[in-house]
Amino acid sequence: MQSPHSHTAPAALSTQELSQEIKSFISGVDAVQGRKLSVREHARCAVRLLRSVPACRGAVLEHLRGVYDEHVSTFLHNLETEGNASSGATSNLEDIIQEVHGVLSEFIRLNPRAWAPLVSTWAVDLLGQLSSKHAGRRVAPHSSSLNELLQLWMSCAATRSLMESYSQCLAAMLAWCPDACVDALLDTSVKHSPHFDWVVAHIGSAFPGTIISRVLACGLKDFCSHGAKDQGPLVEKGSRVPKIGSVVGILGHLAAHHSDSIRKELLRMFQESLAPSTPLSPSSSSTSWEASPQLRRAAVPFLLQLAAMSPNLFGAVSSELVQGLPREELDNMLGLAVHLISQSPTGGARVLRFLADTATPASVIISGPTPSPHEGVREGCDRLLQMLLLHLHKLVFNRSEGSDVGPFGSASSQPQRVIPFLEELRSHVAPLCAETLRLERKRHLWLHQLLCLLSVYGGPSVATETLCQLLTQARNPEELALAWQLHATLSSCMAGLVPAAVAHCVAQIHTHTLGWRQLRQLLLNLAAALQSSMAAQIGSAVSVHLHDFGPLLLHGDPAVSHAAVRLLSCSPLPRTASPAHLLLLSRAAVTHFFLALRRRGEAGKTGRVLLLTRFAAYSALTLKAILQQLVEGALHKGNAELFGGQIADMSGAPVASPSVSPDLGASLLDINCRFGTTVNFSGSVWSVFHAGVIGKGLKPRTAANLPDPSGVIQNIQTLLAVIVQCCSSSSLNGSQSPSDPEEPPPINAEAAKVIAVTLVENVCPDVANGELSWPPEEHARTTVERDIHIRRCFEAHPVLFPLLQVVAAGRPALCYCSAVLRGLLATLLSHWEGSREASSTDSPWHLQASCLLVSCMGEGQLLPPVLANVHEAFAHLTPFEVRLLLLAVWEYVRGNGPLPQKFVFSSDKGIFCRDFSRDGDVSRYVAPIHSVLHKNIDRLGHLCWRFQL
Amino acid sequence: MNSRLPMASDSSSMKLKLQRSTRRRVGTGTLQQTHTGHVIRRFLVAMGDIRQSLLPRDVLSAAKELLYHLDIYICNMVQSGRQPPQVDSKTLDLIEEFILHTPKDRNSPVRRMSALQELQLLEIMCSCFQEQSRDTVRQLMFSALFNLQGNQADESRMALLSKLVSMAVAVGRVPILECAATWLQRTHRVYCVRLAQVLVDDYCSMVPGSGPTLHNIHSASPRFCCQFITAVTTLYDLTSDELTPPMELLQMIVSWIQDDPRLVLITFLNSPLSGSQPISSLDMTPLGGLIRWCIKAPLAYRRDKKQVNDGSSDSEPDTARLFSALHLSVLQVFMLLPNILNEKGLFGRLALLQMESVATLTSDLSRLLDQADKHTHAATGNTHAASQLALDRLAQALQVAMASGALLCSREDLRAICSRLPHNNLLQLVLSGPVMYYNNIHTPPLAYSPHAAHSPIPAHPTLPPHTPHTPLAAHPAPHAQYPAQPFMTGMPFPFRPGH
Repeated sequence: MQSPHSHTAPAALSTQELSQEIKSFISGVDAVQGRKLSVREHARCAVRLLRSVPACRGAVLEHLRGVYDEHVSTFLHNLETEGNASSGATSNLEDIIQEVHGVLSEFIRLNPRAWAPLVSTWAVDLLGQLSSKHAGRRVAPHSSSLNELLQLWMSCAATRSLMESYSQCLAAMLAWCPDACVDALLDTSVKHSPHFDWVVAHIGSAFPGTIISRVLACGLKDFCSHGAKDQGPLVEKGSRVPKIGSVVGILGHLAAHHSDSIRKELLRMFQESLAPSTPLSPSSSSTSWEASPQLRRAAVPFLLQLAAMSPNLFGAVSSELVQGLPREELDNMLGLAVHLISQSPTGGARVLRFLADTATPASVIISGPTPSPHEGVREGCDRLLQMLLLHLHKLVFNRSEGSDVGPFGSASSQPQRVIPFLEELRSHVAPLCAETLRLERKRHLWLHQLLCLLSVYGGPSVATETLCQLLTQARNPEELALAWQLHATLSSCMAGLVPAAVAHCVAQIHTHTLGWRQLRQLLLNLAAALQSSMAAQIGSAVSVHLHDFGPLLLHGDPAVSHAAVRLLSCSPLPRTASPAHLLLLSRAAVTHFFLALRRRGEAGKTGRVLLLTRFAAYSALTLKAILQQLVEGALHKGNAELFGGQIADMSGAPVASPSVSPDLGASLLDINCRFGTTVNFSGSVWSVFHAGVIGKGLKPRTAANLPDPSGVIQNIQTLLAVIVQCCSSSSLNGSQSPSDPEEPPPINAEAAKVIAVTLVENVCPDVANGELSWPPEEHARTTVERDIHIRRCFEAHPVLFPLLQVVAAGRPALCYCSAVLRGLLATLLSHWEGSREASSTDSPWHLQASCLLVSCMGEGQLLPPVLANVHEAFAHLTPFEVRLLLLAVWEYVRGNGPLPQKFVFSSDKGIFCRDFSRDGDVSRYVAPIHSVLHKNIDRLGHLCWRFQL
Repeated sequence: MNSRLPMASDSSSMKLKLQRSTRRRVGTGTLQQTHTGHVIRRFLVAMGDIRQSLLPRDVLSAAKELLYHLDIYICNMVQSGRQPPQVDSKTLDLIEEFILHTPKDRNSPVRRMSALQELQLLEIMCSCFQEQSRDTVRQLMFSALFNLQGNQADESRMALLSKLVSMAVAVGRVPILECAATWLQRTHRVYCVRLAQVLVDDYCSMVPGSGPTLHNIHSASPRFCCQFITAVTTLYDLTSDELTPPMELLQMIVSWIQDDPRLVLITFLNSPLSGSQPISSLDMTPLGGLIRWCIKAPLAYRRDKKQVNDGSSDSEPDTARLFSALHLSVLQVFMLLPNILNEKGLFGRLALLQMESVATLTSDLSRLLDQADKHTHAATGNTHAASQLALDRLAQALQVAMASGALLCSREDLRAICSRLPHNNLLQLVLSGPVMYYNNIHTPPLAYSPHAAHSPIPAHPTLPPHTPHTPLAAHPAPHAQYPAQPFMTGMPFPFRPGH
């Protein structure tokens, strides 16, 4: 059984020759010829000795180190000079390196047990030495660029050959002593740390599965034998951790490409350490460590330690490890667990939920999907959670000092330490708040504390977010109180929290991220807050954003708008606000008012009235805007029917619904619109008038479909109440006496003027002939069209008369309605003139209008009391007589123009009054009255005293 | 002598050389015991000085210089004729410090040699021992260097020794091998086994093709070869895979013994009969180990084969043949013994085969047989044949050993020892046979002198032959002679002593 000789093996040398050979090898001089051996010859000699004299093994390998080093030097030198002048020498050495490699690989193949440990140690050591020694060379890339390094070294024959030899040894040794070879690798890796990485990388990627598991097993063994003192997680900082460091390094390096295998290995280790020990493990890959109970016990601490040292690895195991935590009963691991949780970059929320779920005391009422855990486990979790909170507390509040608080040096070196657990929870603020608000026993205390920490940790942004969430999600005062507790805690360390939170809420409103329920809740909560102890802070914060809440009044959901009313009506108004915002708010408020009227049946109108009143009282601008909008709104097409009005078209006439007049295919507007685009003279343009199309008779009057008289009355009352309140509550007149609470305050003149002007603008679009003073009655012919419009307006909008009354009450505002009054009076005059009825009562609307008009003018002191009282007689007269009386009115007003400057302010009553004695003699206007009185003395006797001068 | 050792080139060694030459002159001039004692004391003082001069040197030259001085010192000692010639502890300390590099105390720096320097040192030692003409000096020097002292230096001592011997084998340095043979005789067997292990590793497994080099030692140094065989047989007791001798080694040993059976006995023949064998040293001869090999081999190698799964089906008959040949050779060696013992006058007085080792062997064998039975329930013919072969060999060996006076014990003792073994015809015969002839005779081991051995024999033929021996009755002459002589004269043994 002779071993096969390689062709280069010399035929067995005699002992004499061997002795010569050894001498030559030692001296480097040819023993026979006495000349110096070249490097190549010397190496050849060494190889021969390696083959024939076993005792020279160590020396030969040591000598070969020099040869390899020489080759690497030459190689790098060639690279540096980029010349191939000395390539001959290189190839020579390459040749010898090939020979050595051949011999070694033959030996390993023939007897792996003897040679593999030897050669692997030698190769790894030499590789480490070469990599470190030549790391500083110019061509050698920096140790951080692993790929370039790998390319460089693998292109060098010497290192490549070493690497191949090592791989061969490893492949051979894996079968029977896998730990030994990885041990050597780890040791060398520690020694030549950054420069040796490429070797680990190459080996690791060549044998990923085995290397990973071996590395772990090695590390575990080492941990078990050395790591007893390292178990305390917080004290181990400076102590010697020989292998675990490089284990972490290698795994961290391999994690780039083999993270899955690493994760699998770690989990396997974890699971097998937890599994009940079986004497014969079926898995073949698990070699040794499962068998020893000591190692099994050390596995979990080892994994935790690994995780503590490398965020990468921790990411791989964190989530699954968590499931095993409570089962772990080792006390000294609690701290480590806490530390790990706090350092966990992902899965923190899950961990927290798990802990909280488990630690929450079992309740009869709340029974989760899982059966309640064992009491011991629950207590463990409780404790763990409390320690976690404590730890976080320390971390958070010591963070800024930052010097030496943390357990691990790497973390504390940064100025502002990152706490991954909290970092991750930042994105879970909303669910945390929701859970906190559930107010479950101990749980909400924990969570509340955690929220506090999170807010402090995350700074104002998180704090704001948290507070905002609480404000949005709280549903009752108890829950809302949590928000103020949080604020109380945080207010000490950060200022301006409430304004920021409110601003954040507003931002959320703007981005429409809240559902209507949340929105409503938020508004209600803010409103509630305005009445709580926080009123001052919240109030000032909310008032800044009033204009942002304004649009919510018009929110599609009544609940939201209602909530907005609540908020706005109790929030203080800002001291200064831009007109644009004010206008916006008032417009929104008014629109909301009409909307609310439309949604009849809702309670709480007081709130709206209050709101409008508050706004109106804020400034002249708002007052004006509100009144104007109220009036306009009341007259608006959409709202008209609320107040018993009919929808009028541009001409002021009520529009016939298409179903009523199907045959009438023409309207002036339509024709005008079409004019010019199409030539259509089917119905002549000129034949269409406001009263109808010539040849087709009068337009049919639309049937008055008064919806609900009582409702209309109620609406009108509401509207009037609002307007009156707005007018009277305004604090514009500084001289107004606030003395009499039971007497309703007088209508403010300015406010009334606003109403008047608005009325005129709306009812009488034609500004021509709009002067206050009245022309002679005959001149009314020039304004027939306008007068008809005005009359129709009054016909269509019953609410106009009450509005006029309000205006009249606010003397001298009615003067500004002069044009409207004149137009209406003119049409009434023409009506009564043309009327052929026996009694004025036969034209009820005109009669009523006449009465109201005159009484209004009397109230507004456009007429002296004598003339103002004539309306009382109208109902008893014939149309012609009514006309006579109205003419008298006209004449008086024409003679004594309705000018505001005729009114003087009487400070004792607080209102403006007109002294009629200054005007001309009334008696000449009273003559027709007296005539009519005489004529009908039988029926008007009881009224005679009313017309005494 | 100056040419033997490499010259130390610096001035201090020159000075020492001068001192030495003057001392030698003085030593040779006056032979008074006191005076020589004085010289040695002076020299010892000088050795103490040496340490100071060695300290600043590099490791190799320091070791070289120390060797040089050691040589001079021992020469002087031998010349002065001090009894017993023993190296004092101060020198041993120096050796440990500068050659074996054991840290002397905690604060002295650890000096280590590189492998190359070590090789150079080995080379120097080789030539040093080679060129020393006086055996005594050489032996003393070897002892000074390599005798185990039971301290922490022993490990490096063993390592250096192993390398030295391995190298000596390679380059054929006979003097070193002779010294090593002596060392192997005197040292605890554990260390001997380690040395043998290194040699086997080096030459039979590590370096392919280097087996022939080791094979040459039997011609270079038969003593060493014999001790080597003893150590190897002690090491490989066939209890496990690791403890099974490599094929190459087995071939080597078989061929050695086949070539010259007396090789096995060389140590025995050359050693003085003082009986001062150090405790726990190797056996005087490898016979016990060889017998164990032969007997256990059929079972052990069958077990191997089963594990290898027919991977070496062709090697099995090869092994079987080798062991068979070995067995024959061993038996032949036994046959040589009576003459030798008689010549030395030790027949029946010296047991080359210890009773205890036989007892261990039989108990091992019975355990192996039990295992074999257990493992192969349907005991195949193979297993059965193997166990019968083992038992046959045991019986043969026992018979021949007893007859040749190598094993001194009674059959009663043998029966007790072999009681647990399964049945075997031959063994039965061996155990019971002679009892039929003198059933009331206990053979007292110490009374078994060559002269006494002859006395009971004439009484033998008077007893009726026992039935198992009836086949032998066909050959009356050998049968009649059988008890009369320790071995059968009629048998065609070529190596019968005296022929």
